[in-house]
Amino acid sequence: METIKLNKLKPGDQGKIVNIALKGASGRRLMDFGFIPGSEFTVVRNAPLIDPVELEIRDNNVSIRHDEAKYIEVVVDE
Amino acid sequence: MSEINVAVAGQPNSGKSTMFNLLTGARQFIANYPGVTVEKKTGVLKIDEDKCNLVDLPGTYSLSSYSLEETVARDYLLSGQADLVLNIVDASNLERSLNLTLQLLEIGLPVIVVLNMMDVAAKREMKINSEKLSEKLNSPVVKAVAKKGKGKAEIKDMISEVYYNQEKYRRNIAEIIKYSPEMEANIEKISNFFAEKKFEDYKARWLAVRLLSGDEHVQNLVKEVS
Repeated sequence: METIKLNKLKPGDQGKIVNIALKGASGRRLMDFGFIPGSEFTVVRNAPLIDPVELEIRDNNVSIRHDEAKYIEVVVDE
Repeated sequence: MSEINVAVAGQPNSGKSTMFNLLTGARQFIANYPGVTVEKKTGVLKIDEDKCNLVDLPGTYSLSSYSLEETVARDYLLSGQADLVLNIVDASNLERSLNLTLQLLEIGLPVIVVLNMMDVAAKREMKINSEKLSEKLNSPVVKAVAKKGKGKAEIKDMISEVYYNQEKYRRNIAEIIKYSPEMEANIEKISNFFAEKKFEDYKARWLAVRLLSGDEHVQNLVKEVS
């Protein structure tokens, strides 16, 4: 299946995390919030120009920066 | 009369401080750790004849050493000063919270899991099987609502119970948290190496796991010694 970067998604899109290409503190913190390969999510909001992207993931609403979202590879449900 | 040192640990907004205030009443004071700006609070709780010193650690999502809060919390837990850990968990955010619980267990101290905000969890129609959770974690689990003062007596009883029966609650951590066979093979190799080196308070398995997760603090520690 084709993977896409998380920052490209639109509100309402649902999918699964495939890979997080972020190391160090940001990568660790994302994992703490449930960004783990296999985690399902729904995009709640995505600000078109500036931050953030808000997701519902593992019963939590988490807002992240575009700068972080672009390192997260996902597959989108059809 | 014994002195029991209890570390109160949990994620931000899990109700740690509310629980801390409920347990210690108005008798707490604020202390500064030398060299860092993050505060830890200590307070006293009387349990029968015993004096229980509670240390309210800063809230952290995990125990890596990327932020000051994490470093303070983890250094205290590794210092050997605490007899046991009171892990305050937001029951309505259970899955996310258990991440820290596992890391606390991995340090090797006895852990009492306090499922706080049970009222919020109930409102969200979540059903939590605390007996099963206790069995899986091999640790006591207590339900509480700190805001409404619920759970204080149960927590006090459990602190005594764990303190006086530490052998029962100090189990082989590898039995609780088992990684994939490849990971376990690597952990074993590295732990054996550490076990020979004698890293004082640091447990060999903990060091191996942290090293494999790319923990800089542990990497530096290893460099210093070797």
